[in-house]
Amino acid sequence: MPPAGRRLRAERLAPYALVAPAVLVVVALRLYPLALGVNFSFTGDGERDGTAVGLDNYATLFDDPLFLGALRNVGLLVLLLPVAVAIPGLLATFIYLRVPGHRLFRGVYFFPAVLSPVIAGAIFNLLLAFDGPANALLGTVGLGPVDWLGDPDVALFAVVGVHVWATFGMALVVFLAGFATLDPSLLDAARIDGAALPRLLRHVIVPGLTRTIQFVFVTTMIGLLTSMFGLLYVMTGGGPGGATYLPEYYIWIQQGQLDRPALASAASTVLFLVMVVVGLLQISLLRRSGRVD
Amino acid sequence: MRRWAAVLVAALTLAGCGSASGPDSASGGGEHKLVVWDWKSGDPAAAAYLEKAKADFAAKRPGVSVEFVAQPFDQYYTLLGAAIQAGRGPDVMLFNGGGRLRDRVDALVPLDPYVIADRDRLTGWEAFGGNGKTYASPVTLQGHPIYVNRKLYRDAGLDPDRPPATWDEFVDACTTIKDRTGARCLALGNKEGAGIQFFLSALGSGALTGQEYGDWLAGNRDWASPDVKRIFELWTEADRAGLNTEGPNSTAMFNDSFAKFQSGEAAHVIGLMSDVGHWKDFGEFLDPGDIGVLPAPVITPGAAPSLPYDGGIGYAVARWTPDPALAADLVRSLSSKDALAAFHADAGAIAADTSIDVSAAGPVASRVVSGIAGGRPALHVALSSTTLDLMGRLSQQLLSGSVTVDEALTQLAASDRDG
Repeated sequence: MPPAGRRLRAERLAPYALVAPAVLVVVALRLYPLALGVNFSFTGDGERDGTAVGLDNYATLFDDPLFLGALRNVGLLVLLLPVAVAIPGLLATFIYLRVPGHRLFRGVYFFPAVLSPVIAGAIFNLLLAFDGPANALLGTVGLGPVDWLGDPDVALFAVVGVHVWATFGMALVVFLAGFATLDPSLLDAARIDGAALPRLLRHVIVPGLTRTIQFVFVTTMIGLLTSMFGLLYVMTGGGPGGATYLPEYYIWIQQGQLDRPALASAASTVLFLVMVVVGLLQISLLRRSGRVD
Repeated sequence: MRRWAAVLVAALTLAGCGSASGPDSASGGGEHKLVVWDWKSGDPAAAAYLEKAKADFAAKRPGVSVEFVAQPFDQYYTLLGAAIQAGRGPDVMLFNGGGRLRDRVDALVPLDPYVIADRDRLTGWEAFGGNGKTYASPVTLQGHPIYVNRKLYRDAGLDPDRPPATWDEFVDACTTIKDRTGARCLALGNKEGAGIQFFLSALGSGALTGQEYGDWLAGNRDWASPDVKRIFELWTEADRAGLNTEGPNSTAMFNDSFAKFQSGEAAHVIGLMSDVGHWKDFGEFLDPGDIGVLPAPVITPGAAPSLPYDGGIGYAVARWTPDPALAADLVRSLSSKDALAAFHADAGAIAADTSIDVSAAGPVASRVVSGIAGGRPALHVALSSTTLDLMGRLSQQLLSGSVTVDEALTQLAASDRDG
């Protein structure tokens, strides 16, 4: 048996040894490339390739109306976030309250989550085409056609709508899991007291699912900011006139199409910082609610 | 923690070093193997072309193997950009002519000493040149003929053998066709902002004087010229007058726009002459006898319409390849006459070797080839990628009415000036 001192040291080192593989993976595959990318954003493109240019790329970015428009669109997505969370929340409520056909709806609502964004985009390209079925339907009720993907005032909402349709299934599942933790006796008591659905939602369901709602807010926000590239690429190509640009689409265009990788790195760094700020805000919210609990 | 973060950021800011290309370089292949990147080698229509090219190269350089790696076109330049940044990648690579190649000439070997013997045989070199040097050998030619549905002309009571020669006659013919058949004038897709490139180049020779056209190609572009402005005015006027198929900003050129032409929803389409979006593609759905080709209508009196064309696709040699002469030999095989003849026969492309017999392809291909002698480079190909990207967005804003022609031209002039 090893001496007590050595055993003590081994026990003290064991947690570090156990955590080391994960830390190494994170440092080697996440933090080091991130530092390289940030470093790269301070170099030039084209003729200035490899030379230090200080903050020139950032100056270019914040002087580019296209990038500023992409950031404005991020702000718009944040404003649309409550809608994107409310839809799966409401539908999960209906399923939990056993509306007729709830078993079927659970499958139907989840189904789009298994489609790739390219497939979902292609489907809605057909549905939302100017001479497509959506406008034909509007025509039958006497409404004029809408250029869903070609009108700069409408296109981003159309793409976000498709994104919500394609992804709310996962949020719905999380909500249903949250409902499993809800005390049914509270709902029964409220019903006996004569509470209608709006009151049930306001006084029982929303307070009971606070943590779940916050979690869905976080995941939906991350999805909106980082997972819309496929849909944008297929449905609008960033158009019309740059109206549906988001930072990640801008990054891809600068890197892949215009051969400006250093500028793309600067844009990536800005997007990363936006995500850090959003993430920290959300973490602080979760911590605060944790203290309340 | 905060102090450490600040130190890290400061260090990265001050360092600011690193290279897109990197000092080290390495070949994709070795001395006895060449690696080629393209987006064609997976296409069955290019199979015979590649076989002929490989056979030609094997005869010249026995013992050297060649590996073709077909990349998806959508991702091609992204992947190529990553390879160039790393200084490692294929020995030989396929390029579109124009800005796609010119933006990357630092990564390429000048081919002038190797291709002297091909100079007179092939056409389209200008699109693969920059800084007075040649960086790729042309395989096909790319251009923008205005294809016509002759059946719609006949159905509307018009003579397709006497097509409209001026813009006013063109609009009159379109009105007649729309009234009598319901078909629109132009199948126009502009989802990625690509429609304006086709429109500018197809109609440019009918709008600009010979001097203006030459000046444009030479880089002395006067964006305030009334003739240049007229093209952009027509872009918006044509849409507002209902000449275009509906929803162009939400319709992709590939394949929506061409589908509308093929299905008889539009009488004209500004198509291509390489291996997609051309007479052979359309012939799968339209009777080949119903497809025609139209010279650009005269917009400015005195303008002399001509076929706009450039080198379409061509193979270049990476600067990191260990033996540029070996790789250049492969490039020459890839543009050898027998190989190009096979590419034309199977894919319908107009090859860079214009001595290839195209008579079996029918009258449209022959008319396109006959226009090459008097043709001039396409206007949009002379622009930088950045200006083209801006023009694509502005073209969409022009159609949606969120920018005026004057504002668009001011922005384009500034972008063109800044390079």
